[in-house]
Amino acid sequence: MDEVLQQVAKMIAEVVGPDFLPVGEITRDTTFSDDLGLESIEFVALADKLNAHYGVDLVAFLADMDIDEIMAMSVGRLVDHITARV
Amino acid sequence: MSRFLFVVPPLTGHVNPTASVGGELLARGHDVAWVGHPGTLAPLLPDGALVFPAIDDRLEAEIRAKRQRWLALRGMAVLKFFWEEFLIPLGHAMVPGTRFAVRGFQPDVVVADQQALAGPLVAKNAGLPWVTSASTSAELVNPLRTMPRVDAWVRGLLHGFAGGDIRFSDRLVLVYSSKALVTEEVGDEVAFVGPALTHRVERVGFPWERLTGGRRVLVSLGTLNGPAGERFLGQVLDAVADLDLQVVMVAPPRPAPPNVLVRPAVPQLALMPHLDAVVTHGGHNTVCEALAHGLPLVVAPIRDDQPTVAAQVVAAGAGVRLTYSRARAAEVRSALESVLDEPEYAAAAELVRESFSAAGGAGAAADLLEKVVAG
Repeated sequence: MDEVLQQVAKMIAEVVGPDFLPVGEITRDTTFSDDLGLESIEFVALADKLNAHYGVDLVAFLADMDIDEIMAMSVGRLVDHITARV
Repeated sequence: MSRFLFVVPPLTGHVNPTASVGGELLARGHDVAWVGHPGTLAPLLPDGALVFPAIDDRLEAEIRAKRQRWLALRGMAVLKFFWEEFLIPLGHAMVPGTRFAVRGFQPDVVVADQQALAGPLVAKNAGLPWVTSASTSAELVNPLRTMPRVDAWVRGLLHGFAGGDIRFSDRLVLVYSSKALVTEEVGDEVAFVGPALTHRVERVGFPWERLTGGRRVLVSLGTLNGPAGERFLGQVLDAVADLDLQVVMVAPPRPAPPNVLVRPAVPQLALMPHLDAVVTHGGHNTVCEALAHGLPLVVAPIRDDQPTVAAQVVAAGAGVRLTYSRARAAEVRSALESVLDEPEYAAAAELVRESFSAAGGAGAAADLLEKVVAG
């Protein structure tokens, strides 16, 4: 399994709480909006983790997207963005 | 004497502040009318209030059904649905009734709730001054500022509807909060008048004799619920079963421990003076009503403006925030014990109460509206 994917999945599980979302259930196709339903405070926590670990700015990444792209945003797309940047 | 027309959506939280400000204007001898859904307005307005229909019962039922579907959505889909399926269609639907009300009532000023887009459109076309009744303080600083393309999409929808961004009046925006909660810079047109609570009508009964001595907490998730609400309320029941306090829970009937009084609806304002803390989803009215009584809060925001309102409460030190969809009984219990037992929370809530009291409420709002007429 891709190392970045594994790391991002771990961060998401930490933010959401592992009881609600086992790491193994997060795949490239998992969407942030519909599948994860991240609450705004969780989103901020995830952005902090990504920034600390990879120096990636999640807010800036989303700033280029329109509403349909944000709705369709998947873990895989974030992983590709990180891989391209790091 | 002057004539004021309030334009409101079929949503209790948006009608309530206008009931108070309108009541104050009536008490001063002005002529006041409302336009919206008569069935939603009747229980919230003073007897004999003049109401023009802009939404019939069938449309109101459709809106309620839509809101049920909307409750199942998550993330960005909530925003998309809100604008495309709710706010813009509601705006269109309310135009004919609002136009009729403006012609029939001949107001000097139109006061439009920020979710009643027909108000500004009709007022503009009639050449009348219009002001905004902001039922939440969360959008004074654009929540979409970090997502410029989503922001542009919203502006595009507004432009298509009314030829411009009519969310806020550039003449006067009445905000029922204070700078103790909203710390960001806002424009000169924004007036923080504090919660408007006088002249409010509450027609719901309450079994006052069932209030026991000791500490009391209100648990209210507003009029929205759904499955996630059921989960949260279940955790609250587990959290409070062994605590030495009485809980008034606003919810449909359900089995509950003896220290929990479950009621489908309560006269919330009348109940406030009997409480020690409030657990809420972070609806702007409930939060500000609690703080107006100096009560600390546990806030579990669900959606919309609620995360922003929750953040305001936490920043003011007046409460604790929980994650609505995932908080467990142990966390609910510990949050409740914090706000009840650690005096800093009540002290911070008291500071907000003082700022609200200084802001002037419905009286201050009425003063400003009179000034708009004076020009």
